[in-house]
Amino acid sequence: MNALLVAEDVAVFSGERLVQPTTLSLLPGRPLTILGESGSGKSLLAQAIMGTLPRGLRAEGVATIDGRRLPLSSGAGHRPLWGRILGLLPQEPWLALDPTMGARAQVAEGYRHVRGLDARDARRRAQADLDSLGLAMAGSKLPSELSGGMAQRVAFAAARAGGARILIADEPTKGLDVMRRDDVAALLMREVGEGAGLLTITHDLALARRLGGEVAVMLDGVIVERGPTEKVLTNPGHEYTRRLIAADPAVWSGRPGAPAAGAAVLEAARLGKTRGGHRLFADRDFSIARGEIVGITGPSGSGKSTFGDVLLGLIEPDVGFVRRAAGIAPVRYQKIYQDPPSAFPPRVTLRRAIDDLVRRHGLDAGRIAPLLDRLRLSAALLDRRPSEVSGGELQRLALLRVLLLDPAFLFADEPTSRLDLITQQEIVELLAEVARERDCAVLLVSHDTELVEKVCHRRIRLGEEAPG
Amino acid sequence: MGPVSRIPVSRILGYRLFQALLVAVTVGLLTFVMVRSLPGDMAYRIAAGRYGYDMVSSDAANAVRAELGLGGGGAAALALWFLDLFRLDFGESVISGRPVLEEIRHQLGHTVGLSVAAILLSVLLGPPLGIAAGLRPGGALDRGLLVAASMLRALPHFVVGLILIMLVSAGLGILPAAGHGGTENLVLPALTLALGLGAVSARVARDAMVQVAASPYYAFGRVKGLSEARVFLRHGLRNVSVPVVTYLGVQFVGLIEGVVVVESLFAWPGIGHALVHAIFSRDVPVIQGTALVMGMMFVLLNAAVDLACLWLDPRKQAS
Repeated sequence: MNALLVAEDVAVFSGERLVQPTTLSLLPGRPLTILGESGSGKSLLAQAIMGTLPRGLRAEGVATIDGRRLPLSSGAGHRPLWGRILGLLPQEPWLALDPTMGARAQVAEGYRHVRGLDARDARRRAQADLDSLGLAMAGSKLPSELSGGMAQRVAFAAARAGGARILIADEPTKGLDVMRRDDVAALLMREVGEGAGLLTITHDLALARRLGGEVAVMLDGVIVERGPTEKVLTNPGHEYTRRLIAADPAVWSGRPGAPAAGAAVLEAARLGKTRGGHRLFADRDFSIARGEIVGITGPSGSGKSTFGDVLLGLIEPDVGFVRRAAGIAPVRYQKIYQDPPSAFPPRVTLRRAIDDLVRRHGLDAGRIAPLLDRLRLSAALLDRRPSEVSGGELQRLALLRVLLLDPAFLFADEPTSRLDLITQQEIVELLAEVARERDCAVLLVSHDTELVEKVCHRRIRLGEEAPG
Repeated sequence: MGPVSRIPVSRILGYRLFQALLVAVTVGLLTFVMVRSLPGDMAYRIAAGRYGYDMVSSDAANAVRAELGLGGGGAAALALWFLDLFRLDFGESVISGRPVLEEIRHQLGHTVGLSVAAILLSVLLGPPLGIAAGLRPGGALDRGLLVAASMLRALPHFVVGLILIMLVSAGLGILPAAGHGGTENLVLPALTLALGLGAVSARVARDAMVQVAASPYYAFGRVKGLSEARVFLRHGLRNVSVPVVTYLGVQFVGLIEGVVVVESLFAWPGIGHALVHAIFSRDVPVIQGTALVMGMMFVLLNAAVDLACLWLDPRKQAS
C-alpha cells in the first residue's frame, strides 16, 4: 500500500528545538493519532507538515505529499495542496466559521472555488453534504445559530469540500461532550472507510481508542512510544503512557464516601429559565450542604452553566428563588471559570492581581505562601503574567484566588475542559481535597460523565432529552 | 445575503424618529437660550445685520426692539417657535425678512452637495488604504499611514484647509481658493473634510482588517484551498465593513462640525456658512432653523448607516 503522506525528520524550532526530528507516514484507511498533553509539540508537528506554522517558528525536514516532495524549511509549496489534497479540520469549529456567512455557502465555496464547479452545482453538492450529516435544515443558518455539534459538522463538510483525501484533525473533540465526541469519531471513520488518510492530534484517549489504527504518544517534542492503538493503550510500554492512561477519569478510583451531614449553604426552589426561546430547565429544586460536591452533567447548550450562574445570583431565574444560608458573607459564594486566561487581567502580573484582591477585601497576605505550597505552585510564578504560565498552573492560581476568600460555596464551571488529562486529574483532585478540608460546598459542571461519577457525591442531569 | 426582515427595519426607523423629535426639542431650546445669553445688545446686532454696522443708531435699534418684541419675555417667543414648528413654519429671517425655510432650502442643497462629495472622497481614501495597511501590519504603508492619519486628525479643519489653499491654489495655482460654481470649487473644501474623516476611518479599517486577518475563520478559508484574493473577498471584506460602516455613523458629528468651518473658510454658500452669519447678527429664527436641519441631517445619516449595517451583517437580520 502506498503512503499518502510521508514526513521525514520533521523538527520545529523557535530559537530552541520544540519538536525533535520525527518521521511518520500515513496510509489510506489506517488512521494515525498523535496523543499528548498541551505543550507536548503535537500540534506543532501537524502544523509543520500542513504548512501552517505560526510566524516566528521554523521547521526542518521533508514531507512527501501526493508524490510531491516539500522541503519544510522553506515553508512554501503547501498552498496548492490545501483543500485539494490536504484538508484541515479546525479546532473550535465555531470560531473557524465565518460569523457573517450561512452554513451552506461556507461549504459550497470549496466546490465552487477549489473544485471549479459552477455556482448551482456547488450549491447542490453542499446541500447534499449537509443532508448526509443531518443538517438538511441548517443551510442558511449562521454559525451563531448552530450548536457546537452542528458547527463541528459544518466545518467538517467545509474542510473536505475541496476534495482533500488527507485529513488532519487538530483536537477535534476539544470542549465537546461524550455524545458529540462519538459523533466526531464516527464522522472521521467514515472518511477513513472511503480510503482517506487521517492524522488526528488529540489529548483524548477515548477518541484515540475509537479511531483505532496507529497511535504515537508525544512528550516534550519527542514521540516516546508508537504502535497499534489497541496494543499501546492496553499494554503501554512507556512510563508516560501509563500515567496518561491512569489519568483518564474512566479508571480513577471510585466515588467518594458520603459527606458529613452539614447545614445547607444554599437552597433553591422551582427554578426555571428560558433562553433564546429554548427552555433550559424548569421546576428544579436544589440544595447543597457544607462539604458536599454535586456534579451537573448534560450535553452542551443544556443550561449547565446557566444553572450554576442562577444559583450564584449572576443570572436572574425566570421563576423560582435562591436562598443563601444566613450569616455567610456574600463574597464567600465564588466561581471558578472554564477558561483561566480570560479570568485574569492579561497585562498585570499574577502577584499584582492577587495583591489587589488581598487589599480590596482586607485579607491576610500571609495565607498566600501556605496556599501556594498546598496547591503545589512555585512562588516564582507570581511574577509572570497570565499568558506566561501553563493552563493548569493558571487554573490552580484561580483556585488559590478563591480560596483566599474562604468560600462556603464554590461553583466550578467546566474547570478542566481546556486542560489535558494529567493536569485535569490534578486540578479535580485538589478541588475535592480542598473542599473536604475547608468544608466548602462545590458545584461541579462537566460534560464528562465519568469524571463527575468519580468525584461527586451526587449528580444532576440537565437537558438529557434535548438534542445538542 | 438573506432578505431583510421587517421588524428590525421598523425598529430602527421608529427609534430614529423618536431621536429626531428629541433633537428638535433640544435644538430649539438650546439655540434660543444660548443666543439670548450671548453678550451685547441683540437689537443692535440685528439692526447692524439689516442696515450695516455704519448705519446703526439707537433709533434703529429701538425700532427693531419694538418690531420684534425683544423687550418682552423669551418664553412666549420660544413657545411660538415650537407652535410654528408643528405647522412646519420656521418663521422669517429678522434680517432679510424672507422665510427661513426658503433660505435653508437654497443653502441646504449646497451643503448636501459638499457633504456627499466629502463622504464619498473619504470612503474612497480611508478604508481602502486602511485595509491595505491592515493586510500587512507593521509594513511601510501601515507605518506611513499611522503618521499621516495622526497628523491629519490632530490638525483642525481650518488648518488643513489653509494648507491646501496654500499648496494647491497659491502654490500650484490649479484650483480656486474659494467661491462657488463649478466642480473645481468643490474639490478643495470636500478634500479638507474628507482628509479629516478618512484619517480616522482608515485607522478603524486597518484595525478591523488586522483582527479579521488573524481570525480562525480567515485561516480556515486559506486551508480550505481558497486563494488569498478569494479569502479576502469572501471572508474579509464583509467582516471588515461592519465596524467601518458603523464607525461612519459616529464620524458624521465631525462632518457637521467641519461643514461650518470649511464652508466659511472656502466661502461656500451652504448652511454652515449661513449659520455663522446668522449667529453674528443674532438672527434667531435662522439659527434655530439651520441648527434644526443640521440635527435632522445627522439623524437621517445615522438611520442610513443603521440600515446599511443591517443589510451588511446577517447576524443583525437574524436577531
